[in-house]
Amino acid sequence: MSEVMIKSSGTLIYKGKKYRGELISEQQQARFNSKKLPLELPYAEMEVLKNVRNGGMSSTITVKMKDGNEYVFMLTNGLKVYHNMDKLWDNKPVVRSRADELHRLAELRGERIVKPKKHLIKRRHPNRSIGGDIGIYLMLAAVACLMAFPLVFAIGSALKPLDELFRFPPTVFPQHPTLDNFSDLIVTMGQSWVPFSRYITNTVFITAFGTFGHLIIASMAAFVLAKYDFPGGKLFFNVVTTCLMFSGYVTGIPNYVIMSKLGMIDTYWALLLPAFAAPIGLFMMKQFMEGLPTALIEAAHIDGAGEFRIFWSIVMPNVKPAWLTVIIFSVQSLWGNSAATVIFSEAKKTLVYALQQIQAGGIARTGQAAAVTVVVMAVPIFIFILSQSQILETMASSGIKD
Amino acid sequence: MSNTQASFASRYLSMKSNQLRYGFSKAKRMKVCYLFLAPYAILFFTFFILPICTSIVYGFTYYNILEPARFVGFQNYINLILQDEVFLTSVKNTFVIAVITGPVGYILSFLFAWFINELPKWLRAVAVVIFYAPSIAGNAYQIFSIIFRGDAYGYLNSFLLNLGFIDAPLLWLTDPHYIMPVLIFVILWMSMGTGFLSFVAGFQGIDKSMYEAGYVDGVRNRWQELYHITLPSMKPMLLFGAVMSITSAFNVCDVPRALAGYPSTDYAARTVVTHLFDYGFSRFEMGYASAIATLLFLVMILCKKAISAALEKVGT
Repeated sequence: MSEVMIKSSGTLIYKGKKYRGELISEQQQARFNSKKLPLELPYAEMEVLKNVRNGGMSSTITVKMKDGNEYVFMLTNGLKVYHNMDKLWDNKPVVRSRADELHRLAELRGERIVKPKKHLIKRRHPNRSIGGDIGIYLMLAAVACLMAFPLVFAIGSALKPLDELFRFPPTVFPQHPTLDNFSDLIVTMGQSWVPFSRYITNTVFITAFGTFGHLIIASMAAFVLAKYDFPGGKLFFNVVTTCLMFSGYVTGIPNYVIMSKLGMIDTYWALLLPAFAAPIGLFMMKQFMEGLPTALIEAAHIDGAGEFRIFWSIVMPNVKPAWLTVIIFSVQSLWGNSAATVIFSEAKKTLVYALQQIQAGGIARTGQAAAVTVVVMAVPIFIFILSQSQILETMASSGIKD
Repeated sequence: MSNTQASFASRYLSMKSNQLRYGFSKAKRMKVCYLFLAPYAILFFTFFILPICTSIVYGFTYYNILEPARFVGFQNYINLILQDEVFLTSVKNTFVIAVITGPVGYILSFLFAWFINELPKWLRAVAVVIFYAPSIAGNAYQIFSIIFRGDAYGYLNSFLLNLGFIDAPLLWLTDPHYIMPVLIFVILWMSMGTGFLSFVAGFQGIDKSMYEAGYVDGVRNRWQELYHITLPSMKPMLLFGAVMSITSAFNVCDVPRALAGYPSTDYAARTVVTHLFDYGFSRFEMGYASAIATLLFLVMILCKKAISAALEKVGT
C-alpha cells in the first residue's frame, strides 16, 4: 500500500514560525516531514478544521492536533502554481501534475488508460467553441490591419525619396526606399545652434529621472493607500481619481504662476516635480496593489519585518507588471513633452521641441516631418515592446525570496 | 426642557470629541502611513490641487496676467452662455465627440482586450503592441493630414478616385461636413489607450483558478464566463477605463488643432478645450478661460459619478 504516495511541498505555520517541509499522503494517511523541525505528524491524529480548495489545484488545510496546536498546510497537489500563491511556500514546485499521479495510480492498479481522441483543431479550453475562436481571430486580424495602417504609412513616407512623396496615385510602400530623410534631418539638426546630442541628453535625463522618481514616490503612496486603513486615506485617493480627468491645458496657466513663485521656471524641476506626482501612476499602482493578497503582508508582519522592508522586498517585487505600466505612462508623457512653456534656455530644450521646429518647416520638409514623426513615435513604442514582453515574463515566473 | 437640550448637546459634543480623539489616536498609530504618503501628497497638492482651486477662483475674475485680477462675479459665465456663439458651437462639437467616441471607444477597448486575452501568449504580445501603438505614438496622428489631404495626392482621395466613387477630390479636413466624421475616426483610432492597457493587465491578473472553479460549477461558454467571473473581478479596471474614456472624450484638443487647423473652417472642429486654449494661451483672457475650465470640471465629475453608479450594478 505504501508504495503509492503523493508528495506535496508546503509550509507549516507552527507557533508563528514557518517551516518548509513536505506533506506525504499515502493511501489512507498523511504525515508532515520537515528538515528543520523534528516533527513527524501522522494524518490520523489530525483533526481537519478547514479544507479550502482553490479551483481543484491547490488547497489549504488547517488541522488541529490532539495536543491542542493548530497547523496550516498549504498544498499543491497538482503543483500547477498560480500567481502569488507559489510565493507563499516554495520557489521550486515539484514538477509533477495531478494527471501524472492519477496515471501512476491507475497503472499500479493495472487499469488501462484511455487516451482522449485527438481533434484536428485543438480546443484550448473546455468551454470555448472553435467557431467563436476563429471568428475572434479573423476580426482581430482585420482590426489590427486598420490600426497599423497609419503607422505603416508614416514609416513608408519617411523612407520615400522626394519624388515619390508627391506621386499620383500615392503608394504605401516606397519603391526605392532611402534613408535620405533621416540623413537630411541630421544635417538640419547639425546646423542648429545647440548640438543635436544635447537635446537627446536632456530628454533622456528628464525621462529617466522623472520616471524613476515617479515610480518610487507613487508606489510608496499607493502601498499605504491600498493596504492600510487610515484617516484621510480614502478621501485623498478620491481626490486623485478625480484629478485623473483634468488635462494639462486646463491647469496650465495657474501652474505656471505657481512655478514662477517657486523659482522653478527654466529649471528641470518644473518638469520633474509635476511628473513625480502624476495621478495616473498612483492610480495604477494602487489598483494593482489592492489585488495583492493581504496574507502576504500579514505573513511578513509575523516575521517581524518593518513597513519599509515590507514595501521594498515584498510589495514592490510583486507588482512588477504595474511598475512597467507606470513606467510606460511616465515615459510617454515625459518623452513627448516639448516643455515649451517652462524651459527657455536653448541648451535645456528637449528633443521634441527641436523636432517640432523642423516639422514647422512646411511643405519643403514633408519628408523630414515624416522622419520626425517616426523618430518621436519609435521610442515609446520600442520601450513598450520591451517592457511588454517583460510583463508577460514577470507574470509567468515571479517569486519572492523570504 | 432646556436642561435636556443642554444634556443632549453636551452628549453630542462629547461623542464628537471622542470620535475626534479616536481619529487622532488612530492617525498617530498609523503615522508611518502618512510618512509614506507625504512626498506624493505634497507634490500633488502643489501641482494639481492648487492650480484647480486657483482656476475656480479666477473664473470669477477678469485676469489677463499683466494686471492684477479684478472680481467680476458671474459675468464670465453669463457671457459664455448668452453671448459667445463659438462657445456653444464648441459645446455641441465636444458633446458629439464625447457621446460617440467615449462609449464606443470604451466598449471597443474592453472587447478587444478580452479577445486579445483569448489569444496564445506570443500572439497576444504582438496584438497588444499593434492596438496600443496608435495612442502611445506621440503625434503620429499627424500622418492623417497626409491620408486625408484635400488634393488628389491625399491617400484616401486617390483611393476613392481610382475606384471611381468620387470624380473630384474631397476636402476632408476643410469642408465642415466632413471634419467631424474624420476627427471621430481618428480619435477612435487612438482610443485603445490607457483604459485598454488596464483591461489587458486586468484580464491577466484574474486568478485562473476562478475560471477552473467556474468550469466545474457549470460555466459553459465564454459569455457566461465574462458575465459571471470576469466582469465582477474587473470592476476597478472598468471604472478606471471609464474615467480614461471621459478624460479623452472631453479633453480633445490636439487632434482637431493639428488636423483641421486652428481655427478651423466655420469653427467646425472647435471643442471646449480648443476654445479654452484660444482664450487662455492666445488672448490671455485667463478669467474667461478659467470659467470654461470650471464648467468642464463640473461636467466631467458629473459624468464620472453617473458611470460609477452604473458600474455598481455590473455582474450582480
